[in-house]
Amino acid sequence: MTSGTPPADGPELQDPPDGDHPTFDTSVAHVARIYDYWLGGKDNYAVDRAAGDAAVQAYPDLIHSVRSNRAFLARAVHYLAAEAGIRQFLDIGTGIPTAPNTHEIAQAVSAASRVVYVDNDPIVLAHARALLTGAPEGATDYLDADLRDTGTILDRAAQTLDFSQPVAVVLMAILHLIPDTDDPYGIVAQFTGAVPAGSYLALSQIASDIDAKAVAEARDQVGRYMPVKQTYRSHPEVMRFFDGMEMVEPGLVPVPKWRPAPAAEAAMPSALWGGVARKR
Amino acid sequence: MLLGTQLRRLREDAGITPDQAGYEIRASRSKISRLEHGRVSFKHRDVADLLTLYGVTDEQTRAGLLALVEQANAQGWWSKYSDILPDWFEAYLGLEAAATLIRTFELQFVNGLFQTQGYARAVTVLGHKSAPAEEIDRRVSLRMKRQDLLDSPDAPRVWSVMDEAALRRPVGGPQVMREQLERLIEAADLPNVTIQVVPFRRGGHAGAGGSFTVLRFRQADLPDVAYIEQLTSALYLERRNDVDHYLEVMNRLSAEALTPVGTTRFLKEIIRET
Repeated sequence: MTSGTPPADGPELQDPPDGDHPTFDTSVAHVARIYDYWLGGKDNYAVDRAAGDAAVQAYPDLIHSVRSNRAFLARAVHYLAAEAGIRQFLDIGTGIPTAPNTHEIAQAVSAASRVVYVDNDPIVLAHARALLTGAPEGATDYLDADLRDTGTILDRAAQTLDFSQPVAVVLMAILHLIPDTDDPYGIVAQFTGAVPAGSYLALSQIASDIDAKAVAEARDQVGRYMPVKQTYRSHPEVMRFFDGMEMVEPGLVPVPKWRPAPAAEAAMPSALWGGVARKR
Repeated sequence: MLLGTQLRRLREDAGITPDQAGYEIRASRSKISRLEHGRVSFKHRDVADLLTLYGVTDEQTRAGLLALVEQANAQGWWSKYSDILPDWFEAYLGLEAAATLIRTFELQFVNGLFQTQGYARAVTVLGHKSAPAEEIDRRVSLRMKRQDLLDSPDAPRVWSVMDEAALRRPVGGPQVMREQLERLIEAADLPNVTIQVVPFRRGGHAGAGGSFTVLRFRQADLPDVAYIEQLTSALYLERRNDVDHYLEVMNRLSAEALTPVGTTRFLKEIIRET
């Protein structure tokens, strides 16, 4: 169903224990649903739209910004699959599905590509399982885990991915949800440490040093609707995530400038830093 | 139906009465009402004039809505079943054909899109006790024909959540039910179909209010439609507040249900016990 050769007991683990209902709250805004709203999706509620609109009011380039982040994901995954020959992807912070998704891009290059999606939101995961079903030749799996639970993610991902072969770790617009006190650099290093040489890290992060004032105002607006602390980071701070790795050209740049497909795209405003690096 | 509800929404948003709208296209207030309920065919020019009156100037939006004119006027495959099709269900078939994503929650019965002939017959007989055999045949044949949608070139994605009750109630007897459960396992294997079960052991769930369907369409500016069937009519909700509520319940159900993989295993268990 979801994969050609599902691990014997892997997906079973995903069923929540009996009587333990997943908890969600639709009276407060939710980061994945606001993002869906900005991307033009229909899986969002009034409170998400209110939060989304307030943020756009504060930073009018925000819609461009998130859409170019989604386009960056597509270009980065395509580069990894088509040019770097990567066949295994660990995509953490999947979000509500928006075509094209990681497995669609990777499996269009090689149907045998294996993709593990990770998210900590039960509704996002339900969407991923229902809508992100991959090619039968490859494998697609879904993990319910928080980015901070690196051990859990790596253990469970190992049921679908072969960690003796190169893996691309994909962290798109998620690290702003990890405050410095939760050791984001240590978290990323856990993943890059677990994959062999020739693996890649593809990452984007909301910038603290692009349109700083308006972006901070947008963050505060969203904060009125959603009790989640967001940490934006500067170019040097984001570079630290790639410590010891070899940056792929053109390095860490605003996401529209990373190997733009139509050149016009590069001129679009965006308040996210994005880059791809190879593990030596 | 789809175009009609859009026209009504746009007219109301623009604060225009049916009388004013009727005047604009040289027609009566009741013609507007019939248009908005999808009861009469649309003229391209009338729709274009109404869109202008309602202040829809964006070329892309206009083109998207005008493209619906042809679709709305085209005779569906179901037109030859009009003798047994109530208006309120005919409208649903039009929406179903236009949808890109169909999400259903079923409390009592297996969804019509997945019913075997034996199961469909048993359900139909239950609902039409006094109908002659010939009519029952036609109703079953309509339901079977409807399933062509699942493997049509433009097939929508169908994401169906079912209460365990729908799988346990042996409609048509144990043999019919076993075949029905096997059919569900087959259907779940289709690339565009997802089936999830909410087992009894999960306790109460978000879908206590009953079965419903949420339809989604390709066009970005077309809202989802929530469909709730009743005995002699159906509700079509497309106001954002209503749809949000149904979508929220559907999302909770999907998260509370067994995963697609767990569901297939569960179906096999039930077959052994049926």
